[in-house]
Amino acid sequence: MDYVIHFELVWKYVPYLLQGALISFQIAFLAFLGGMVIGLFGAMAKVFGGRWVRAIVGGYVTFFMNTPQLVQIYFLFFALPQIGILLGPYEAVLVGMTLNAGAYVTEIQRAGFLSVRKSELEAAETMGMSLLQAVWYVIVPHICKVLFPPLSNHYIMMTLGTSMAAIFGVEELTGRAFNVNGITFRAIEIFSITAGIYVLVTIVASSILLFLGQWFFRVKAKVF
Amino acid sequence: MLSELLDEIPKFFSYYNIVFMLEATLRTLALTGIGLIIGFTIGVGLAIVRVFHGLGFVLPRFFAISYVEFFRRVPFLVTLMLVFFFFQVFKLDVTVFTVAAITVFLISASYIAEIVRAGFESVHAAQWEAGTVMNFTLLQILRDIVIPQSWRVILPPAFSFFIAFIKNIALASQIGVMELTYAGKVLNSKGFSASLVYGTILAIYFLISYPFGRLGKWMEEKLAFPKH
Repeated sequence: MDYVIHFELVWKYVPYLLQGALISFQIAFLAFLGGMVIGLFGAMAKVFGGRWVRAIVGGYVTFFMNTPQLVQIYFLFFALPQIGILLGPYEAVLVGMTLNAGAYVTEIQRAGFLSVRKSELEAAETMGMSLLQAVWYVIVPHICKVLFPPLSNHYIMMTLGTSMAAIFGVEELTGRAFNVNGITFRAIEIFSITAGIYVLVTIVASSILLFLGQWFFRVKAKVF
Repeated sequence: MLSELLDEIPKFFSYYNIVFMLEATLRTLALTGIGLIIGFTIGVGLAIVRVFHGLGFVLPRFFAISYVEFFRRVPFLVTLMLVFFFFQVFKLDVTVFTVAAITVFLISASYIAEIVRAGFESVHAAQWEAGTVMNFTLLQILRDIVIPQSWRVILPPAFSFFIAFIKNIALASQIGVMELTYAGKVLNSKGFSASLVYGTILAIYFLISYPFGRLGKWMEEKLAFPKH
């Protein structure tokens, strides 16, 4: 075996990789926000909508949940130009991840909506709460508490999912790892550092989410 | 554009292309199968290691926890590259399929370990203690008390993880494993239009994943403890 581990050759690229992690975070965060918006409307449509609306949203959710995100982005990236919509790598990944997240978040939020029991609303009414009060003091706290753990889990999964962007040439963490690998050829070192950064980033994100959940929504479930 | 697409369809679904895509589908399924069977074995082992609380088990526990936390927090693509370059660097002659299979079981072991651990934890602590009081060995406790009660909790999430994993394996195309996504890339570079190729690939994934998903949902309802 003549491969010798040389971490000192790649140390100077760590700041470059960390900036890439920032782009990963940006993609994950924007896609998650977009997914939350889609999910909110999707869940409302699925719970309160008419038959056709429910069928359309259901089709969207089933399709995106049952196909790989990678192939979805491939489709956006390579097939949409045929009808004249040109997406850059970053946009294609962002749109693909947002649509994908939208499907999953719709399902998560729908389960959250359905977890509010009728008796809770009746209790609020008995206490003489107005509709707004019932929403603010009964429904929102309940839904937040139920939704927080699965949503934070999904956010972590999405952070890992951003590595897919590298395949399309976006220079986020994994993409930059490929770049550095192309310059230095120290594959093992680069990718173990990259893996370490991912572990670090997701542990930080999990911890922040854990605190947010405990402080704002009194979530007892653990994120780790 | 639509008429061009329609013209292409008979050419696209030629005998050779269909066989090619079927073989690729089988390879995707084979990767899932191999990875999950080995991953399940290792995962159960890791979960059992975390059950031991004695001082002598500090090191194995630490190893099990770090293994699970590491592989659950590193993207599939990065793990794939690590395994890929590991074999390259140590000059071991393995196929890309083996590399992908090893990556798959390394990762699935960590997820399954968490699922199994959650299942073990769903059994009340008093039952473990009762087993200890009856002088059962740990294996007897697991076999006669814990597993009969917890497999209902373990199976549904394990199954939905398995479905999620069929989709993750699309990333194995990046190192050149001839699976479904790679077949799409090959057909696309042969000159078939991207919308047709990737549309078909998406449809095949859907056809695999959707029935399994329904089966999983059915199983979940069937196995759920009756709600009073």
